[in-house]
Amino acid sequence: MYSYIVRRIALGGITVFGVSIIVFLIMRVMPGDPLTAIFGPEGMTKLTEAQRQSYMEELGLADPLIVQYANWLWDIAKGELGRSFFRAESIGEMVLRRGPLTAQIAILSVILSWILGIPVAIVSALRPNTAADNTARVISITCLAVPGFWLGMLIVLGLLFGFGYRAPQTAAGAGLFEDPGTVLQIIVGPAFVLALGQAAYIARMARSSLLEVIREDYVRTARAKGLNGRLVVSLHALPNALLPVITLSGILLGFVLAGSIPVERAFGTPGLGYAMFNAVNERDIFVMQNLVFLYAGVFVMLNIAVDIVIAWIDPRIRYR
Amino acid sequence: MTAPSDSPAAVQPAAAAPPAPRGMAGGLRHFARRSPLSAFWGCIALLIVAMAVAAPIVAPYPPLKSDFRSMQQAPNESHWFGTDQIGRDTLSRVIHGSRTSLIVAFAAVLLGTTLGSFWGLACGFLGGRFDIVSQRIIEFLQAFPDLILAMAIAMALGSGTVTVIIAIAITRIPFGGRVIRSVVLSLKEMSFVEAARSLGASNMRIMLFHILPQCVAPYLILATTHLGVAIIIEASLGFLGVGIPPPAPTWGNMLADALNAGIVPPWWLVLFPGVAITITVLAFNLFGDGIRDVLDPRLRGSV
Repeated sequence: MYSYIVRRIALGGITVFGVSIIVFLIMRVMPGDPLTAIFGPEGMTKLTEAQRQSYMEELGLADPLIVQYANWLWDIAKGELGRSFFRAESIGEMVLRRGPLTAQIAILSVILSWILGIPVAIVSALRPNTAADNTARVISITCLAVPGFWLGMLIVLGLLFGFGYRAPQTAAGAGLFEDPGTVLQIIVGPAFVLALGQAAYIARMARSSLLEVIREDYVRTARAKGLNGRLVVSLHALPNALLPVITLSGILLGFVLAGSIPVERAFGTPGLGYAMFNAVNERDIFVMQNLVFLYAGVFVMLNIAVDIVIAWIDPRIRYR
Repeated sequence: MTAPSDSPAAVQPAAAAPPAPRGMAGGLRHFARRSPLSAFWGCIALLIVAMAVAAPIVAPYPPLKSDFRSMQQAPNESHWFGTDQIGRDTLSRVIHGSRTSLIVAFAAVLLGTTLGSFWGLACGFLGGRFDIVSQRIIEFLQAFPDLILAMAIAMALGSGTVTVIIAIAITRIPFGGRVIRSVVLSLKEMSFVEAARSLGASNMRIMLFHILPQCVAPYLILATTHLGVAIIIEASLGFLGVGIPPPAPTWGNMLADALNAGIVPPWWLVLFPGVAITITVLAFNLFGDGIRDVLDPRLRGSV
């Protein structure tokens, strides 16, 4: 078990390192000139050569790429994540201020996706190819086709027209326990929208996994000894069928992290996703570089955590 | 957005290819019988493609022409989908939006899947150090949620149609690399490869003439299943302001415009572009499911 954990974490460390190189390459090498990214092609022509030089010096962009990369890694190690080009606060402070809201949205959406997806999967798997199963299939296919941010806009608009209600736009830094009413109003909408797409994947995966498990010998044995059908499913079949769903849920976190950007924009949620939207529109490459790295790093680490949890639950994986 | 159906194990070489060769019409009939739902949505997909091709003819107004006498009108008989805040006809913009959306999706998926597939072919066939390094790089790329990677690339390259295509294509490369590699790995052990080798065929010949043709079915499955995702990413990029720059009529741009129109965006500016995205993605997803069922019957109903 321990060797598995160590190996998994080491591999994850390499991945995070590789991710940092890719982010750096995208942000510094691809456009040729980061100042073009900041000022835009037109703004660039208005700068004099001297101004250009001084900006490059000031932003540390005049150093060799290796030095810039090393400086960046040092910034990350210090937890500062560098500075925004347009804002006073450091990126680390911004993440601490806005991050909790996005994290709460992500957690709530994962919980909601299980609440929505698993019952649907159980009904589908117990009565495969019936009207109920087909309805569930159609609904999940539709959920995958609806862009979350659009659904978010519709919900905001519907609530506004129907009830004159608009979720509070403030309380960015408030924790769930300090001001639960406000925070819940802010996070429920985005979390629900993000949960729908995940629930569709989870329902499909849990259905096929449950169908497989139900055919296993031990489930037949449980039935043969006269156990109530409901107990067989909930106590014997379901726990094993849910293992691949946990892994899937980890992979779907990528779906949530990426999806939260346009969804937060649609709801006007003052979270980290909205900060990413701002950064991309202000062409603030420093914020973008750090946030992209942060999102990818968090995604990698959460998947390592999921793998370890699975290995802890399921001995078959540990000894493979 | 990482579709679980794309895991390497899910798409296998089409060893059990359709039994007897059929003509075009016979093949279509077979397809319609096997999966009527997919055939129906395939027809819708074709209609959308036709609409995109014939956009200037179908659309009642030019998409960029603003009519200041009819600004922000609710849907009425001369503007079925209403007009936006500078008097552009929403229906025409939605129709023209299908063009951009489809061009970007097709180009990006073709480019990304093809590059990825050739990479995967090389990895699977050559193996060794090249394969190990490649798998690491692919793992790095897959560590990014795909919209975030696309955003970063689109921002770095500056906005435009080609950049959006490249940005989305790069997010598709790992899938091709992974899936085709696993297909090639299992093909390599098959007896027909051994037979070719014993006849003295060179590595290059085996790779291009014996293994490559067997990768066509999984390649097509991959490409069609990724069209829907590509359309959603394109719309999201437009919505976030890193897509094809306005005033180009793309669905994502239209939704972003609606949001920028004021505190309360008019409902018709929000509703119609989103419905267009949903129907298009639904059509291409179900059509892709049907293609997968026909090309690889063993997967039917498994995902």
